[in-house]
Amino acid sequence: MIDLPGKSDLQVYPINEGAVTIEFGKTIDEDIVNRVNAFDRLLNEKVLPGMYQTVPAYASLTVFFDLLTILDAPLPGKTGFDKARAYLLGLNEQASDFEEAGQSEIITIPVCYGGVFGYDLEYVASHTKLDSNDVIKLHSEVVYKVCMVGFTPGFAYLGGLNPALEVPRKATPVKVSPGAVGIAGSQTGVYPLETPGGWQIIGRTPMRLFDAKRSQPSLLKANDKVKFEPISLSEFEKYSGG
Amino acid sequence: MKIRIKRAGLMATIQDQGRHHYLSQGVPVSGAMDSLSAQIANLCLGNDVNDAVIEFTQSGASFVTEEDMLICLSGAGACLKTEIRRLPQHRPLFIPAGTGLYLENAPPGNRSYLAVAGGWHVPEALGSRSTYITARFGGLDGRFLKEKDVLKSTEKFTPTTMAIWNALKGNAINYPKWGVARALFLSRDFKSIRVMRGREFNWFDDASTGNFFAEEYILGHNSNRMGYQLQGKPMHRAIQGELLSTAVTPGTIQVTNNGDLILLMADCQTTGGYPRIAQVAAVDLPLCAQLQPGDAINFKEISWKEAEKLYIEHQLELRKLAVTVQQRYSGSF
Repeated sequence: MIDLPGKSDLQVYPINEGAVTIEFGKTIDEDIVNRVNAFDRLLNEKVLPGMYQTVPAYASLTVFFDLLTILDAPLPGKTGFDKARAYLLGLNEQASDFEEAGQSEIITIPVCYGGVFGYDLEYVASHTKLDSNDVIKLHSEVVYKVCMVGFTPGFAYLGGLNPALEVPRKATPVKVSPGAVGIAGSQTGVYPLETPGGWQIIGRTPMRLFDAKRSQPSLLKANDKVKFEPISLSEFEKYSGG
Repeated sequence: MKIRIKRAGLMATIQDQGRHHYLSQGVPVSGAMDSLSAQIANLCLGNDVNDAVIEFTQSGASFVTEEDMLICLSGAGACLKTEIRRLPQHRPLFIPAGTGLYLENAPPGNRSYLAVAGGWHVPEALGSRSTYITARFGGLDGRFLKEKDVLKSTEKFTPTTMAIWNALKGNAINYPKWGVARALFLSRDFKSIRVMRGREFNWFDDASTGNFFAEEYILGHNSNRMGYQLQGKPMHRAIQGELLSTAVTPGTIQVTNNGDLILLMADCQTTGGYPRIAQVAAVDLPLCAQLQPGDAINFKEISWKEAEKLYIEHQLELRKLAVTVQQRYSGSF
């Protein structure tokens, strides 16, 4: 069971004429991430009138809706924002407690660490005073949780990195390849597209993190569980080929 | 109906009213930067407002009609020209097959929208025809238009479109006496952008927030469909602190750690971690879409309530325009 914060703890504010953000806290905290996701599931069962999308983040949930539709809804308040806030706070009151999501399956992402793909592995090893193999072990033995998806299509911010692996981000972002696995600060993740990136790159996955042709284009969604599995270069090439 | 591109000009793409159902997977909204002009171009042809249009940036593009066509150009900064004459914007144009047309510079403004009867035919990607260049999907193969591209209409015409076609078709270029007054949909002062206070407005000191509403900001050269760099007096923090990444939308004005302003536009990322000083009113985003590097703007504060009211009025005006065009052509053959 998850206790949601009381009405007074919950901040609701507009971000444009057709979207409001519910703020559950101001820190990265597993309990808050769970609250965001629990509320997101509830809201998608008991949909706000005119709602077409919700975007969970570390400590907030943003709700997008059609303003003209919500204005016609029999909710207290005169503006779309007032009506949305009334609905969301009401939903939060009703949901004093509800079930945590069932244990979701763990998504395994194969990663070829080090070498040409993980060109910053040596830097990470020297900065953390660990052996490269220990970096790989510490990175791949944890089950991570997707806290949020953003930055680029399919980019998942993963929570759960071993503090022993914390390294600073690069001074300036450089171009990374699709599938590049990076770490920086307390965060780790996989770059889905060729974009500039500031994280230290320790490996690459042959898996496609984002594919617009799939019905669910992003491999990872908020609240998913993720594990990395070390693979060799030849396994990587086989994966790419098949 | 089809055209062949002779010169694509700068960054021409297919866009519609955007991709709204994959934000939670990090997929940007995209869509026409000046969504108002894309809607006007479609409504002039009896199309659905969400039909795909071509977004041209500045002038320089040219194309040839390969069949008899019904098209409309809206937006600002360019107008359609044949070898011998300029054609009007914001109204339906019948163009016979084999006509060469090009976009001529017509300042001020930066983006023009070419609609075709039935909408341009490209496959939907994730529920939208909008091109998203960074991830290379949507529009025409997820890329900019180029020389020799052939673009076709869906040929799915509404009764209004058919009636406009029947009223204008012939052997020569033809258009009606009426046109849409695009300017009436916009605020009178193109350089004054209405904004609402952002969530972190109070993170900045009084001098900075005072400057924000008093000073001019110049659009920087590093400005594109993702966002605009705004050059002006830097913002200083009154409250230090890190913001956790949270959802942002086109129109959000972020302040970087150097105190610089960034105005997020159509292709912006779905989440951001910079403090938000303000949000541009949705009705003024089309004005922002028409800015060119070097243009000066200033910000005027309105309440969130006022922004909602303006948005609703705007939507109702567009619906009224659709009905007006329909009624003009109902019963005519």
